[in-house]
Amino acid sequence: MNATDGKRTLVLIRHSPYGSSLARASVDVALATAAFEQPVNLLFVGDGVLQLLSGQDCEALGVKNLGRLLSSLPLYDIDHVYVDAEAAARYQLDLDAAPVAALPLDPGAMAELVSTHDHLLGF
Amino acid sequence: MTLHTLNASPASAAFADCLRLLTAGDALLLMGDGVYAALAGCSHRAELDTSGAMLYVLRDDAAAAGVLDRVDGVTVVDIDGFVTLSEQYARQLAWF
Amino acid sequence: MIYALLVMSSPASGQCAMTAARFARGVLARGHSIKRVFFLDAGTGAGSATAVYPQDESARLQPWVDLAEQHGVELSLCIASALKYGMLDEAEATRYDRRRGTIHPAFTLAGLGQLVDAAASVDRMVSFGG
Repeated sequence: MNATDGKRTLVLIRHSPYGSSLARASVDVALATAAFEQPVNLLFVGDGVLQLLSGQDCEALGVKNLGRLLSSLPLYDIDHVYVDAEAAARYQLDLDAAPVAALPLDPGAMAELVSTHDHLLGF
Repeated sequence: MTLHTLNASPASAAFADCLRLLTAGDALLLMGDGVYAALAGCSHRAELDTSGAMLYVLRDDAAAAGVLDRVDGVTVVDIDGFVTLSEQYARQLAWF
Repeated sequence: MIYALLVMSSPASGQCAMTAARFARGVLARGHSIKRVFFLDAGTGAGSATAVYPQDESARLQPWVDLAEQHGVELSLCIASALKYGMLDEAEATRYDRRRGTIHPAFTLAGLGQLVDAAASVDRMVSFGG
């Protein structure tokens, strides 16, 4: 794999953490892209912002804690993490307490962000 | 500019989120349950019209849904038209 | 141009998975090439050699097999997703003590690195979901 190829990928996470298997897959894709040293940014959109809720405890469910997985993002070389400000406000999300620091964007800024990437992977 | 593809009902969160990111200069291809958003005269269609994006609907899916003759103002494309759109727009984003 | 496809749609629900197969054929017909089709999540069901669909519905497997056999298109099933959906090759069947593999030989099991590798080098990445 040629790391200098430099195709910029934006991973859009649109699903809540435990309602579907796509949520886990989207985070795994983001982590894999970073692990292979490809430029990648992350955007939580709509219900995807619910992955940023603090205090996720899924021990009783017997599934992977996605909040904890997200808190490992700084260990990977993910350039930037962004969040849909409208959706975060709709769910009264405390972004300061989120498992990973995310920069809030309004719809115009999100559209702008989308337009600056080569590939878009939406989950 | 971005080619958006929507494969979800106009009542879905995917539709609402897609609409917020859709800008003039983008294209939106409606497929699967997304074809119902093309229905002329309906409120969802009006929302798409105001986005300024170019609107397309996948022929076979629209035909299956029974809406093919009710999508005035939306361009009907077959699979080759879909491929052509993917050539013309630098990136694609799937909403579902 | 060089394309890669990401298919997340289940072949058993809705028409999107088959739209993806027709899109792939259309891409090749236009003179482009396809580096890889990567199947993720429910999309991995496309590789099932054991699923049986009603006779009055169109074939779900053959369009993909044709792309692989006639056009050399690489078909990769995300291994983590595939195992969850019971999609095993012979090696994985042996590893997990299952009686036999369940995927068609036109498909291979692959890690997410194969999706990343495709995205890194293609001009167009087109996703199909729902």
